[in-house]
Amino acid sequence: MQQEKKKGDFRVVNHAIPRRDGRAKVTGRATYVSDVKLVGMAWAKVLRSPYPHAKIISIDTSKAAARPGVYGVLTGNDLEGINPYYGHAVKDHPLLAIGKVRYVGEPVAAVVAVDERTAFEALEFIEVKYEELKPVLTHDEAMAKDAPLLHDRVFEAGALRGFEGDTTAGKGSNICQAHHIQWGNVEEAFKNAAAVVEGEYYFPMTYAYAMEAYVAIADVNDNGVTVYSSAQHPFMVRHDLKAIFNLPVSQVRLVVPFVGGGYGSKSYTKIEPLAAACSWKFKRPVKLQLTIEEAMLTTRSDDALTWMRTAVDANGKIIARQAKILMNTGAYAENSPLVVEKSTNRCVGPYSIPNVQIDNYSFYTNTVPASSYRGFGCAQVTLPGESQIDELAAKIGKDSYEFRVMNAAKNGEEFFPKMRPFEGSLKQDLDIAAKALRWNEPAPKGRAKSIACSTSDAGAYPLTSTAIRVHADGSVTILTGSTELGQGSHTVLPQIAAEELGIPFDKVHVMSSDTAITPYDRSTGASRTTTLMGSAMIDACREAIQQMVAMAADVLKVKTEQIQVIPGGIRAGEIQLNWSQIISKYYALPDGEVIGRAYIRKAGRFAQIPVFWETVSTGVEVAIDEETGKIDVEKLVTVGDVGLAINPALAEGQDIGAATMGLGTGLYEELVYEGSQLMNGSILEYRLPRFKDTAKEIELNLVENQDGAGPYGAKGGGEGSLNSMAANIANAVARATGVRIRHAPLTPERVWRALKEQKAK
Amino acid sequence: MMPLRRFTIDQPKSVKEAAEMLAHHGENGRLYAGGTELLLAMKHDLLRYEHLVDVKTVPDLNTISVGNNNLHIGATVTHRAVERSAEAREHCPVLVDMEHNVANVRVRATGTLGGNLCFAEPHSDPAALLLALGAHVHVAGKNGERKLNIDELIQGAYETAIAPDELMTGVDIPLAAKSRRAAYMKFQIKERPTLGLALVLDVDGGNIKSARAVVGSISPKPARSDQVDKILAGSRADVEKRLADAAQELAKVADPVDDLEGSAEYKRHLVGVFLKRAFIKALS
Repeated sequence: MQQEKKKGDFRVVNHAIPRRDGRAKVTGRATYVSDVKLVGMAWAKVLRSPYPHAKIISIDTSKAAARPGVYGVLTGNDLEGINPYYGHAVKDHPLLAIGKVRYVGEPVAAVVAVDERTAFEALEFIEVKYEELKPVLTHDEAMAKDAPLLHDRVFEAGALRGFEGDTTAGKGSNICQAHHIQWGNVEEAFKNAAAVVEGEYYFPMTYAYAMEAYVAIADVNDNGVTVYSSAQHPFMVRHDLKAIFNLPVSQVRLVVPFVGGGYGSKSYTKIEPLAAACSWKFKRPVKLQLTIEEAMLTTRSDDALTWMRTAVDANGKIIARQAKILMNTGAYAENSPLVVEKSTNRCVGPYSIPNVQIDNYSFYTNTVPASSYRGFGCAQVTLPGESQIDELAAKIGKDSYEFRVMNAAKNGEEFFPKMRPFEGSLKQDLDIAAKALRWNEPAPKGRAKSIACSTSDAGAYPLTSTAIRVHADGSVTILTGSTELGQGSHTVLPQIAAEELGIPFDKVHVMSSDTAITPYDRSTGASRTTTLMGSAMIDACREAIQQMVAMAADVLKVKTEQIQVIPGGIRAGEIQLNWSQIISKYYALPDGEVIGRAYIRKAGRFAQIPVFWETVSTGVEVAIDEETGKIDVEKLVTVGDVGLAINPALAEGQDIGAATMGLGTGLYEELVYEGSQLMNGSILEYRLPRFKDTAKEIELNLVENQDGAGPYGAKGGGEGSLNSMAANIANAVARATGVRIRHAPLTPERVWRALKEQKAK
Repeated sequence: MMPLRRFTIDQPKSVKEAAEMLAHHGENGRLYAGGTELLLAMKHDLLRYEHLVDVKTVPDLNTISVGNNNLHIGATVTHRAVERSAEAREHCPVLVDMEHNVANVRVRATGTLGGNLCFAEPHSDPAALLLALGAHVHVAGKNGERKLNIDELIQGAYETAIAPDELMTGVDIPLAAKSRRAAYMKFQIKERPTLGLALVLDVDGGNIKSARAVVGSISPKPARSDQVDKILAGSRADVEKRLADAAQELAKVADPVDDLEGSAEYKRHLVGVFLKRAFIKALS
C-alpha cells in the first residue's frame, strides 16, 4: 500500500479537477480513429454470412473485383502466408471465415476500394455458395448428444496468462470452458440448514453499445505492421498481430487515440487482423470502420442461466451457496473463458460463506461471439446472488439490509480461500446506502426500495510499466500504455504525477497507447488503471526524483544525504532548486530531460490476486405501474468503496455510468434471437437506457478509507455499480408486489405477466 | 447503417413538376420530405432509389392556415412546426400535444407530417390521431386533385392509396368545436410506440353524443370500428361501465400480433388500460 499521505493532505490528488479532454471532446476537436487518414488509404467493407452454420462451397469475387474503384476482394482462400487464426484465450477465430461459417453475421469476404461507398456497393456482386449445416443455438442444443461440433480441433493457446484454468475448447464437445470452485462441504451444510432458497435465474445477452463502433486503419509494409485502432488493450492486440504476421514485437505498432467508449467490448483483438490482412494483400493502408449494426454482430456479453441455492443457519448466518451456471458464448471463445472463471468467483458475493460450490460451463453456439462486458460476468451472477439474499431474508423474517450487514465480509478477512483478504468496509457502505434511501421509512404506495451489493476480484493481471519524462523547463510528459476510453486516465494519471513531483497539474501531459513509444501495459480494463498504472506513476516519479537528487548532489557538490526533497524540487542547506534548475544545471544548458521508470509485476504489494476487491453497494426506489408493468426509477444511490478517489468527480461519473448501464439490463436490454437470427440487431430495436430512464433523484457516494493496494490506498472503480442493478430491480418489484421475477430484463410485459400469474393463483 | 448508395435529388418548383418527375422515375424514384424514415431505411439498405424528388422545394407546402371549418397543414410542415404553431394550439390542442411527443426533437425538427403519413409506418402517432379526428388529405397528380380520408389513405403497413406519380399536398383537420374532447395517449418503451390510443368525444354536459376511438401501432394500420364508437356513446356513467367492452372490441378489430414490442395478449390488455386513461384524460 502506497499510503503516506492521508485524506486532506493532498494538493492535486483527491480533487475534482475538470477532465483534461473534456473541452476537446465536447467541441468535436478530439481525434478518434475515424478521424485519421493515411496517404493512399483505401476502405474495406465486409460481406457477412446469412447462415448460422454452413460450409462455404465456393466464393466468386470476380464481378466485385472488376468494378471501378475496387482494388480487390479478400476471402478466407487468400490467407496463405499468414497465420489467420487469433484469440486471446485460444486461437479459434479466423480473421475471415475459412471453409465454414459459424454465425449469422460472420465476415466471409472484404472488398477493398477507393472509398467506403464503392466498397459497400461491390459487396452484393460477390457470389458465395453455401451448404447449410445444422445449427447449435442454445445451451441445451450445445449439450445434446448428437449436437454438431462448432470446433473439432484443439487450438493453440493465446496470450491469456494469469489465467489459472485450462481451456476445454475443441476437446470433443461444444463446451468452450468449464470452471469450478469448491470449499467446505456443501451437501452437509444444506442438510443442516435452518432455511434454504433455491431457484433458476436468467441474465440475457447484452450489447455494450460504445458510441464509437469498431474501427481500425492498418498499414502493412516492409517495415512491419502499423494499426490505428479503437482497441482498449493495444498491447494485447499487438500480441495477436505479431503472431498472425510472424513478426518481432518491434515491428508491430498499435496506435490508439481517444476511444469512444469501450465497456469491455473493445478489449482484446477484434477487427484489427482483418484490416491488416486487407492492407497486406492489397499493399496499401486500409480503413475498416464498422457500423453499430455490424458491431452488434461482432461482440456481445455471455448470457447466463444460473441454478443457485443458498442456506442459513438458525442464527441467520449464511452457511452455504451452490450454483451451476450455463453460459452461451457464441461461435468463438474470445475472452469468454476468463468471463467464465470470473463469474464463477463472483457468485460468492461480498459475503463470508463457509461452504461453497460453483460449477460453470460456457458453450460454443452458432451465435455472435461473446466476450468481456463491463463487470465481467459479475452482473450475470449477481442477479441470482443478490436476489437470493433478499429471498432468504424474507424467508427467515429478517430485514434484507441487516441480513447483508450481518453476513458481510470484514476488512482483512480471507473470505475467499487463497485470494487477497477482503479490503473494504462493506458495513459502512451499506449503512450509507440505507441512510440515503431512508430505509427505515416505508416507501409510498406503488413504490419499493432495494439495497444490494457486490464485490469483484478486479484489476486483472498486475503487469504494468511506465515512464515519465521531466523536461528541462520542469514540465512533464507521461508515457502510458493505458487507453483513455472516457474513464478519465488522461486526468487521473497527471494528477498523481503532479502530486508526487510537487508541480502544478497543468505542467503534466500524457502520451498514451502507442506501442512503439509507450511502455508496456497489459490492459485497460477490469477497473485496473488507477490502481496499477497509478502505482506505477508514483514509482516512476519517485525514481525520477532519485535521479534528480543525484544530479543535484553532483551539481552542488554535496552528498545525496544532505539533500532534502521538497514539493517541486530539493533543498540543500540554504540552497533550493526546482526540477527545471537541476536539469538545466546538470546539462549546462536549459535543455535535456530525466526519465523516470517503473515496472509493476505480480510481486510485493501486488503478489496476491486479485489486485483489489471492487466493492460497491447500490440502492433504488422504484415505482411500478401494475397495469402496464412499467417500472420507473425514482431514486438511485451508489456507494463506491474506492479507497481514495484520485478524482472524485470522475469516480462518481463512473459510478453513475455503470449504474445506468445496469439499469438498462435490469429494465430493457436484451439481445433477442429467434432461431439463428438476431431480431433486434440495431439501436432502433435494441433498447438502451435514455435520459428519461435515469432516476429522478440520484445520490452518489464514495467511501475513502485508503484501504486499497493502489496509490495512496486507492482501489479501482467504474464497473461495480452495474453489477447489482438487475437484482435491485427484481428485489424492489418483489417487495412492492410479492412477486419474484428471476429473469432479466424486467420488461413491462414480463412484470405484467408475472403479476397476472400471481393473481391467477 | 451502411453508407448511402448513390442517388440524385430532384428539386421541383411546383406540385405539377414534382408529379411529372415521379412519373418519369417510376419505381426508381421516391418522394422525399423529411427523410427521417426513408433515409433510415435506405441507410439500412432496406429500400433503394436512384432518384429522390425533394418535395420541400415546392413552395407553399410548408404552411399552416386556418379555414372556416379546417385547420390546414401543408405536407412539408415539420412535426416541430406543428408543435410550436399558435394556430394549431388554438384550434387543435390535441394535435400539438401529440406532435410534442413524436419520436425525439431531432426527428420532429426534420420529419414532416406529410412524410409521416405517406410512409405509412405502422407506428405512426399522427395517423392514429388524425383518423380519430376525421381529418382528410389532399393528393395531387398529373390528372388533378383528389381528397382522401385517413382510412382511405393508409392501406396497410407502408402502403397508401397514393399513386406513384401523385403527391400529398396537405392535411385538413376539422376545427375543434367547444363540445369536442380529445386525447392521444401512447405506451412507448422502444424507439417507436407499442400502442397509441386516440379518443375524440363530442360531449353535451354529462352525455357523450358521439365518440371516435382509434388504436395505432398494434396493427399494420390504425384500427377503429363503428361498433366501438357506438359503445362509447351515451351517458358518461354508462360509457364508463362499458369501457372494457369497447376496449375488447377495439382490440378485436386491431387484431394485434406477437412481435418484439410485445405479445398480442399484452397489446390487447394495453388497449383496455389506455382506452380508460384516454377517456379520463379527454374528459378532465
